[in-house]
Amino acid sequence: MKLTLSVNGAKREVSASPAARLLDVLRGPLGLTGSKEGCGEGECGACTVLLDGDPVNACLVLAGQCEGREITTVEGLGTPDSLSPLQRAFVEHGGAQCGICTPGMLMSSEAYLRKNKDLVTLRESIAGNLCRCTGYQRIEESMVQAEQEGRARTFGTVGS
Amino acid sequence: MAIADLDRHEVWRPVSLAALLERLAERHAAGAKTVLLAGGTDWVVEQEMAKPSQPGDALPLLADISCLGELRGIALTGTTLRVGAATTYLEMRRHEEIGRGTHRAELLARMAQDLGALQIQARGTLGGNLATGSPAADGVTVLAAYDATVVLASVRGERRVPMVEYQTGYKKSLKAADEAIVAFEMDVPARYSWYWRKVGTRRAQAISKVALAGIAVIEAGRVTRVGLGMASVAPVTALLAKTRQLLLSAPIAEIAGPDLDAAVLGDIAPIDDVRSTREYRAHCARILVKDFVRQLGAKV
Repeated sequence: MKLTLSVNGAKREVSASPAARLLDVLRGPLGLTGSKEGCGEGECGACTVLLDGDPVNACLVLAGQCEGREITTVEGLGTPDSLSPLQRAFVEHGGAQCGICTPGMLMSSEAYLRKNKDLVTLRESIAGNLCRCTGYQRIEESMVQAEQEGRARTFGTVGS
Repeated sequence: MAIADLDRHEVWRPVSLAALLERLAERHAAGAKTVLLAGGTDWVVEQEMAKPSQPGDALPLLADISCLGELRGIALTGTTLRVGAATTYLEMRRHEEIGRGTHRAELLARMAQDLGALQIQARGTLGGNLATGSPAADGVTVLAAYDATVVLASVRGERRVPMVEYQTGYKKSLKAADEAIVAFEMDVPARYSWYWRKVGTRRAQAISKVALAGIAVIEAGRVTRVGLGMASVAPVTALLAKTRQLLLSAPIAEIAGPDLDAAVLGDIAPIDDVRSTREYRAHCARILVKDFVRQLGAKV
């Protein structure tokens, strides 16, 4: 079956069952392997992607449920040559160690910075993402840096 | 059915509630199963843990109701708060009448904050919480506390069932197989006190060992309305009828601690399981009710 998904700002037509997990469609036919599978039960947050700007566990969302909605994965943040401010902050502050939780952490952090700062605290925004390496401190520092940089920006582009 | 079976399911997105109800009726008449899928935060996990199906096993139709407008939204009319069954917890937290602005139903937002983490709150719904029938459901405790009315619909029409009647046993309810949960209606007074406390292993992503949602209206030192809902202490969400009765029976300052303990213990039937013990649950149940009642002015 053909599904039409809007991923990272582009319409993508993909051969997949609408009942397949979004995570499998992203990592399989769409080739977006940045999102990781940890627990597969919505506990660890390694597969976190944004659905219309809100963080969701891609292991619990069916691909067919995403038609007509905007999906953002870690590949939509920056490129290896041009990291997003958040990705750069994670690199500079040691926010990533083994790397398994990192894509999910980045997406939860991105949702916090972009949309949820007045609803949740920084720590609450990553409460659904488990990390076994950093003790969370360096992730928090990375997020704070990205937040401060965001405030000090002198140039931006609206719309895409 | 396991995760490996997922791809084989048919997914159908009803364009309207009427279309959903017609198909539910048709399939039910033909003996075929339909799963109403909203956030999927329970159902998909169940598939992960289930055994693979055998060839020839009939798979249910997955009706994706997550975007069905008639099941979504929040509206306050007079003192009646209506929350669509497929409204997500995150939407509740963001809503003017619930989580922000007037805080009219702040209990709902406060509970939503402790349910899973943001990823679950962005997908999970009150309708799903009630439909899956877990006695640990946090959302259902709030429905119990507000004495919500469950709005059910089928091709036969709409009917309203009070929460006190809805749950009939472990994962059993008055909802017929061809009915859908459409919305919840709650009478939300202009002045009242609320209480929410969840006991779990950590602040996020915990399934409640015990949780208590409560509301109370106090006039001239007496409780004139009280609603309580407790998770994980009985086969269904506990409505704590004896405790409610006791609180309504005398001025709040005259409620005695031992009577309150006895009422709570008479209202619950906790068990030992992977998350906690019968004894600890009974202890927490008494402590949480006391904590609420103390804040209402009782000397217990």
